[in-house]
Amino acid sequence: MIEIKNLDVAYGYAKVLQDISLKIETGQMAFIIGRNGAGKTTLLKTIIGLLKPKKGSITYQGDEISNLSPEELYRKGLRYVAQEKKVFGNLTVRENIEIAAYASQEPIDRALDKVMSLYPKLKDFLKTKAGQLSGGQRQILLVGRALVGEPKLLLVDEPTQGLAAIVIEDIVNILSGLKERVSAVIVEQNLAMVNRLADRVHILKEGKVVGEIIDQSEISNTQGLEEYL
Amino acid sequence: MKKESSLDEGKAFCEKPVDFIKELRSTPIKEHGVIDLLGIAAFFLVITPLLSTHRITDFMIFCIFAMSFDLLYGYMGRLSFGHLLFLGTGAYCSGLFIKYISGNPLLAILVGIAVAGLLGMLLGLIVVRTTGACFALINLAFNHIGFFLVLSPLRKITRGEDGFGVSVSKLGFLNFNSGAIMFGFVLLCLLLVFYFLKRLTSSPYGIMIRSIKEDETRVRFLGYNTYLYKWLTFVLAGAIAGLAGGLTALNYHYVNPNVMDVNSNVGVVFACLIGGAGNLYGALIGGVTYMIISNFLPLYIHRWEMFLGLSLLIITFRFRKGVWGYIQSSIEYFIRRKSFFRSV
Repeated sequence: MIEIKNLDVAYGYAKVLQDISLKIETGQMAFIIGRNGAGKTTLLKTIIGLLKPKKGSITYQGDEISNLSPEELYRKGLRYVAQEKKVFGNLTVRENIEIAAYASQEPIDRALDKVMSLYPKLKDFLKTKAGQLSGGQRQILLVGRALVGEPKLLLVDEPTQGLAAIVIEDIVNILSGLKERVSAVIVEQNLAMVNRLADRVHILKEGKVVGEIIDQSEISNTQGLEEYL
Repeated sequence: MKKESSLDEGKAFCEKPVDFIKELRSTPIKEHGVIDLLGIAAFFLVITPLLSTHRITDFMIFCIFAMSFDLLYGYMGRLSFGHLLFLGTGAYCSGLFIKYISGNPLLAILVGIAVAGLLGMLLGLIVVRTTGACFALINLAFNHIGFFLVLSPLRKITRGEDGFGVSVSKLGFLNFNSGAIMFGFVLLCLLLVFYFLKRLTSSPYGIMIRSIKEDETRVRFLGYNTYLYKWLTFVLAGAIAGLAGGLTALNYHYVNPNVMDVNSNVGVVFACLIGGAGNLYGALIGGVTYMIISNFLPLYIHRWEMFLGLSLLIITFRFRKGVWGYIQSSIEYFIRRKSFFRSV
């Protein structure tokens, strides 16, 4: 599905990612873990076209995508859910979903149903300005909005960061329901979530991939993973 | 295969913003406030006896200009310090058309709109690539260029700072030299522009430009070519300002470089801020308020512009959402309070 080969990314002269290579197959949920500053978010931003690599290639379904713009990547089925939980605050929840529905030509009712089926409580907030939602509700809205249209690969950056435990549970359940329906690359520090959802884990340290775990028993060993956080 | 075609359709929609016209047609008319139109018409008709017909016509023209500016600034979040260039272009092109080609006022206005729109198309190619201060200043620069073009290099046609008179011919029973006819025509134009913008801003296209105001990068992540939407909005705002310009030429029977004086741009910025940016009612309230202040305050205070500065300070610190925003917030507050007491 997506393959990254020998990727180097730099902010000016400072190299942030060095010689990154990884491969994610269709239907897999891959997690990227690592300490703060390891380059996890930079990797996602490079995949989605926000940063241009200095070296290396990113191929998606066999096509090189490192030079494509975010809108072209959207049309290829990639969806990015950023870390900051930024919804369109001055638009209503409904309008936030509508804007994604127009982009993908999905009927609005179907798009709304799709998002509401993830989290029925959002129905009560359809006319509320999205800026007035809680952090968790905003995160769910963002994930739901990313599913409008026909997404093939979700890129989600720290979906549980700063959220209460009960909301994290909701988000884990939502992502769990997406397994095998859509592929995903998720940056996450919450090992309980990694444990429950990951098909493979890539460990980043100081801009390099230092480990790759595909064995489920190793993924379940959270103590083993903790040393990389 | 079906999924592929759905993606292709999505691509087509994102790359052709003109598709919003289909969406506009499908939205029910009652959602776009025919009652509002009656209310606006009634307001201007009621205040006309209190002031002169000519003055109220002038107020309405400024309101059209303020709405065009609001589309750009209030809805799309692009503050321009040179929007008067389009009003001036509309005024000059309509005036010159009447002076040199034909006295038909309707054709003259259409020429004003078309040329201002064309200018928007050309300048928009460069201008909409920028944001923030750069957008504001590039517009200011083009406004300066336009001002000096009509003042000096084109003075043989435009008669430089002296300007030129505009006398229109009768159009059947419509005599645009009559104040009442001009009032009626401008009121009709105002209502049409309001109705068009009201429908436009509540359509998917409207949601799009409001989203661009909030976070353009995120709109691109949703697969939209934001450049096209910004360009189209810039062109529309320019064309509507051109209409205001054409009407100005007809209303004053005279055009001179003051119609695109860069210093006058502050007026429309002030109007949008005082009324409440991002809302057509706000643009109307702001437009009328600014015109009342600029028409009557100079009679009592010599340096009346100082009052504008003070008002801007008060708006910035106390009423950031403007008059209309303040009214809306108050209504929402009372509704919430009422429902709270009911539930108790």
